[in-house]
Amino acid sequence: MVLVLALGDLHIPHRAADLPPKFKSMLVPGKIQHIICTGNLCIKEVHDYLKSLCPDMHITRGEYDEDARYPETKTLTIGQFKLGLCHGHQVVPWGDLDSLAMLQRQLDVDILVTGHTHQFKAYKHEGGVVINPGSATGAYSSITYDVNPSFVLMDIDALRVVVYVYELIDGEVKVDKIDFKKTSTSHSAH
Amino acid sequence: MMSDGGIEDEEKWLAEGIAGLQHNAFYMHRALDSNNLRDALKYSAQMLSELRTSRLSPHKYYELYMRAFDELRKLEMFFKEETKRGCSVIDLYELVQHAGNILPRLYLLCTVGSVYIRSKEAPAKDVLKDLVEMCRGIQHPVRGLFLRSYLSQVSRDKLPDIGSEYEGDADTVMDAVEFVLQNFTEMNKLWVRMQHQGPVREKEKREKERSELRDLVGKNLHVLSQIEGVDLDLYRDTVLPRVLEQVVNCKDEIAQYYLMDCIIQVFPDEYHLQTLETLLGACPQLQPIVDIKTVLSQLMDRLSNYAASSAEVLPEFLQVEAFAKLSNAIGKVIEAQVDMPAFGSIGLYVSLLTFTLRVHPDRLDYVDQVLGACVKKLSGKAKLEDSKGTKQIVALLSAPLEKYNDIGIALKLSNYPRVMDHLDSATNKVMAVVIIQSIMKNNTCISTADKVEALFELIKGLIKDLDGAPADELDEEDFKEEQNSVARLIHMLHNDDPEEMLKIICIVRKHILSGGPKRLAFTVPPLIFSALKLVRRLQGQDGDLDGEEMSATPKKIFQLLHQTIEALLSVPAPELALRLYLQCAEAANDCDIEPVAYEFFTQAFILYEEEVADSKAQVTAIHLIIGTLQRMNVFGVENRDTLTHKATGYSAKLLKKPDQCRAVYACSHLFWVDDQDGIKDGERVLLCLKRALRIANAAQQMANVTRGSNGPVTLFVEILNKYLYFFEKGNAQVTTAAIQGLVELITTEMQSDAKTQDPSADAFFSSTLRYIQFQKQKGGAMGEKYEPIKV
Amino acid sequence: MNYIVGAFKPSCNITITFADGRTRKQVPFKKENGKTVMVPLFQSQENIVGEVSIEPFQWKKVEHNGVKIELLGQIEMYSDRGNFYDFTSLVRELEVPGDIYERKSYPFEFSSVEMPYESYSGVNVRLRYVLKVTISRSYVGNMVEYQDFAVQKYTPVPSINNTIKMEVGIEDCLHIEFEYSKSKYHLKDVIVGKIYFLLVRIKIKHMELEIRRRESTGSGPNTHVETETLAKFELMDGVPVRGESIPIRLFLSPYELTPTYRNINNKFNVKYFLNLVLVDEEDRRYFKQQEITVYRLQET
Repeated sequence: MVLVLALGDLHIPHRAADLPPKFKSMLVPGKIQHIICTGNLCIKEVHDYLKSLCPDMHITRGEYDEDARYPETKTLTIGQFKLGLCHGHQVVPWGDLDSLAMLQRQLDVDILVTGHTHQFKAYKHEGGVVINPGSATGAYSSITYDVNPSFVLMDIDALRVVVYVYELIDGEVKVDKIDFKKTSTSHSAH
Repeated sequence: MMSDGGIEDEEKWLAEGIAGLQHNAFYMHRALDSNNLRDALKYSAQMLSELRTSRLSPHKYYELYMRAFDELRKLEMFFKEETKRGCSVIDLYELVQHAGNILPRLYLLCTVGSVYIRSKEAPAKDVLKDLVEMCRGIQHPVRGLFLRSYLSQVSRDKLPDIGSEYEGDADTVMDAVEFVLQNFTEMNKLWVRMQHQGPVREKEKREKERSELRDLVGKNLHVLSQIEGVDLDLYRDTVLPRVLEQVVNCKDEIAQYYLMDCIIQVFPDEYHLQTLETLLGACPQLQPIVDIKTVLSQLMDRLSNYAASSAEVLPEFLQVEAFAKLSNAIGKVIEAQVDMPAFGSIGLYVSLLTFTLRVHPDRLDYVDQVLGACVKKLSGKAKLEDSKGTKQIVALLSAPLEKYNDIGIALKLSNYPRVMDHLDSATNKVMAVVIIQSIMKNNTCISTADKVEALFELIKGLIKDLDGAPADELDEEDFKEEQNSVARLIHMLHNDDPEEMLKIICIVRKHILSGGPKRLAFTVPPLIFSALKLVRRLQGQDGDLDGEEMSATPKKIFQLLHQTIEALLSVPAPELALRLYLQCAEAANDCDIEPVAYEFFTQAFILYEEEVADSKAQVTAIHLIIGTLQRMNVFGVENRDTLTHKATGYSAKLLKKPDQCRAVYACSHLFWVDDQDGIKDGERVLLCLKRALRIANAAQQMANVTRGSNGPVTLFVEILNKYLYFFEKGNAQVTTAAIQGLVELITTEMQSDAKTQDPSADAFFSSTLRYIQFQKQKGGAMGEKYEPIKV
Repeated sequence: MNYIVGAFKPSCNITITFADGRTRKQVPFKKENGKTVMVPLFQSQENIVGEVSIEPFQWKKVEHNGVKIELLGQIEMYSDRGNFYDFTSLVRELEVPGDIYERKSYPFEFSSVEMPYESYSGVNVRLRYVLKVTISRSYVGNMVEYQDFAVQKYTPVPSINNTIKMEVGIEDCLHIEFEYSKSKYHLKDVIVGKIYFLLVRIKIKHMELEIRRRESTGSGPNTHVETETLAKFELMDGVPVRGESIPIRLFLSPYELTPTYRNINNKFNVKYFLNLVLVDEEDRRYFKQQEITVYRLQET
């Protein structure tokens, strides 16, 4: 069992002062094995904070990130799953599922995690999963109104991934659970 | 005093002393065993003669003393038994005084005295008085201190305290107090005297020795505090004045510091509270170099803790006007000790402030008064340079923040910014950061324009270069951190009322624009987003309806935004400005204000053309432009055409072919927007895709020339996917034949390109083919649509 | 052997006993040979009553020219050994000349004897009281037997007993003021007092109180003075500072004092002094001597 924290679009300090305290108190070091971050942190302090939660971090570049070294896309394998990571501003139309599906095919991944829209999304799509963890700070977005802070925890266990979505609604943390099973591994062996 | 014999000699002397002591103790035991009083006295006196040595340091002397002490316990038992056997204790009391040497004589006297008191044949007070008087014969500090310490030890359980068996008509607690006070006074005198005996060059050593002995003196105060009968009245009327008299009169800074501290530590807080005036009154009378600030700080800390211990004690504090007294005393001490360093006096104010915050949290005027006193102390002097002092000021300023967890409180304190003015620029910044952190930590919302104005006054050290501040030798990291904290702060400035919010925004804008180019990149974005949030709130309203009075209109705000982003050009930060313009364009789009949206786009384009030079930055910018433009629905045909035309134009002019290709096929989405009327221009979509194909081809040819470059086959697969996308969306221009052709083209390319294997392209193509297969098998309308395509 | 020896031996045994010898208080008395014996104690004006018994050895007769008993008060100067000066001499005839064949007792009584001085055994002088029995004989030497007894005189508590108070000093160095509560002390008395330090510029290491006895004998150019230190009593240990006051409490009982004797029969004086000694760190001694009067108080 592997816990993966997926989050992005914090936009600190441009659009938000910090992560919600409730999130901070939930995110404690030592529990998470990997962090995948879609980008727009935007500053080093945030990077360092995340690193303090878990040193194994994978970040792609958002359009506001000061660190230019983050790649545009990134893939990694956790358990039986191949994950792809991209901020998403490169995929026009923004947040468009079919366009994201193309990226998923391009990266050849089971799970694609993207951000940019600040709206939490998780789809089963063509045997894979497309996830948008939303904005961890609930940052202002031109695309989405009334953004609630959210992030995603993925519990990956062999062929199964349980996606927990944590969303801060009116000061309360709501958790949703979405369960995915990988039906076939054939295509990645292709 | 001791010669420079060194430690080895001292060890030797101690060993000799112990040997002599043990030798005589042996004979003493023998005499005790055979009930031979005369010999017991003789050998005990000889044994005690070892304590007459002057060669041992206090530390070693103590070792010898402890051995003698143990032996004296046995002797005391013997005396007790002697009296049971019929020997008169009064005779014994005389008999021991026949000893010719004074030190053994007095040790024996104290020992018999203890038995004497226990026998109750004379009032305890008479015996105690006699003993404490007789001990005057020892004027040697170390020997005298130990002797009196012995007296204190043997008499402790025999004081005529209230409830003690030694209390009686003739013996009152007053006598007990009198006795301890006298012993204390004499001991302190001896202790102080050490300082002045011996050569000057051994001063340090002497002070060390004195510190080894200090607890012998302080023990008396402890004994006093343990006397049951010392109630508040007795403490106030007798104990404290007498102790203080000695403390003040001894004129010795070591003793004064130690004893003041002792008084504060050993007696109960409620006594301190009720005798504040007396205790504080002594402070200005102490020697000028006594570390009075630490003493007072400790007192205030204790009182603070006491106040915190229970709400019930708070009325006491009010009743005795503790704050006024402390404040007054601090003033006097600072006045009296002209040489006190700044950190000392500020330290005192910190303690007073801590006290005030604990005891009178509701009295902001007190808090301000303390700060005011500090300002007064600091005024007329240059900015503080010493780090201890500035640290104390930071502590002073931080205390109210920590207490109230509300910067609003600090903003009400008129002296708060005045204190800050006395900080050097670096510390001023540190303090500003502390203030910001406090706001952050407590999630404090600053909700009025006035408060915001006051807050920016406090943190002005971060907002702009202060006059006289040293030209930047700043660490870049530190600077970034500071400015980022300011950026975070801007999110805490909020009011639900748009008018007030706009005022806040204007104030923030005014301040941050004064910060100079190096700060703007940090401070402008949060301001922009803050304003955009306000715009979004106003979005539903139509400002024009309410007439001119209504100033918070989106239009007005957009104007402000425009001017603010413009300031970034001086940084220069064109990429950031471009992104912000696009954000504003979208917001204007949402507000349905076409000209404004168009203007923002125009500005973005100007920046793109003139300022964004880096190819990678261009790629990102193009994607943002296309992505934003794709979402715009406010534009009329003409404006839209102009903008899409430019966007595609930029796309095709990117430096690298693959980037061109991708940007161009992305542009296809500008002509086909789902859920929107009018924009479904299949032909222009296809034009884009074909143009992308041409670029891919060109890239392919270039790659053939310069072998090994990134396989452009991927580009073909990407374009294939775009074809599929529009095919599925129902763009009639995209035909199965075209798709089929593209699939075959790619298949061929892949086979011919076998030498430069590109596994990712392979995988991409495979998954695309699998997708086609998947769609075919799905059946229904989509399955039918895909039916003709063969893979 | 007895016979031969017997010729030189006294032919009888003389014993002198006091009538109240069993009950009378005895005090130690130092004899000329240095030995201390216990002797009965009398006071002036007492009746000295007793019995002399003469017991001839082995039924030998004792031929004599008379038997007498004398009560003598003598002063003996060691410098003039063997020369006694009798200041008191009383005689009682016990027997007219004749022979004594068997044990015979003679009661005697000296009534209300005036004994003006106390017994004293000093360095150079001795004052003793003795009963002397003499059996006068013509051809052989007189037979003599002595019996010492002691005389002590009690003095009532003096009506005037001033304190001794004095300020002394070395200019700009040391000024002290000392005070002894009385100037007259009985033998078991306690000396109580105080020493105040008014000025201390030298480092006093310690301080002691000495009791000294000064015995002076003879007169004029032949005066002989002998001083003894009977007590050394440490009063203070360490360096005092200005303003300190040091208590004095010295019990006299452990010391073998006599009363002060002034001009005893123009032959000798015994005087007592308190000597306050201060010793500085370089072992220099500073002292001040004060005479005190010692007297004998009737014990109760």
